[in-house]
Amino acid sequence: MTLLHCLILAFILFTIGIFGVLTNRHLIGMLISIEIMLNAANINFVAFAYFKAQDPTAGTLFSIFSIAITACEMAVALAILIAMYRKHHSLDVNTQEINHE
Amino acid sequence: MILNIPFSDIVFYFVAVFMVLLSIAAVSSKNVLRSAIFLIASFLGTAILYLLLKAEFMAMAQIMLYVGGVVVFIIFAILLTSHLGENKLSTPISQKFLAVFLALTLLGVMAKFLFNTKELSESITQKSPEASSLIAYGERLLSYAPNGFVLPFEIISILLFMTLVVAITIAKKDNKEEK
Repeated sequence: MTLLHCLILAFILFTIGIFGVLTNRHLIGMLISIEIMLNAANINFVAFAYFKAQDPTAGTLFSIFSIAITACEMAVALAILIAMYRKHHSLDVNTQEINHE
Repeated sequence: MILNIPFSDIVFYFVAVFMVLLSIAAVSSKNVLRSAIFLIASFLGTAILYLLLKAEFMAMAQIMLYVGGVVVFIIFAILLTSHLGENKLSTPISQKFLAVFLALTLLGVMAKFLFNTKELSESITQKSPEASSLIAYGERLLSYAPNGFVLPFEIISILLFMTLVVAITIAKKDNKEEK
């Protein structure tokens, strides 16, 4: 287990997340893909803090801040989802414009 | 320590394969509820990875905030919005191929720069055990020293409060308009 292996794992997870964002039509599916991408970024922070950092505490604290911001983002995303569902009765991102008229 | 290294390596590769497979399942599953369950398992794998990287507090935060918070948000959103048996949104196969192509291109570009960097394969500084203890985190978060994190900590708390207000406002607004 070296830094390189951790970075490769994080990159693969990030790629999977991008694939999910590009292919999913369901809004919640896209959110799940974004979660996977953010998780990959956190793995990067922690791996660099473990293997390379002069100051490992600060390196790990950054990912704690990133987790807190993720929680904020998910709360707002849930609110937007519910508001959108009330208006359109669907979470399909492709048909939103048609329903809007 | 010498006996310890191969075992942690085995666990790392096992967890890595597990996480990649579960993430692929979470992304490509047709049923949204099922992909949320796969996401929980993937986050648990990440927590094990943090334990291997000796960041115990991060592993706890991962389980409490992601598995206990974010995924519960997602499951709430699914239960509030989807009728059961709806999830039949299919993407055209051309879009899927394009997405695979773009994602693999990005992976290739990142891997090219990654393998060209020589310093990554050797690990110089190993963490001292005190660096990742709960006391070290707490002292660093609340210290006023130039390397302390008290200002971002306060900003995060204000951001969390604002998020709560904003989420309630957005979710409530339509209700008034309908009446």
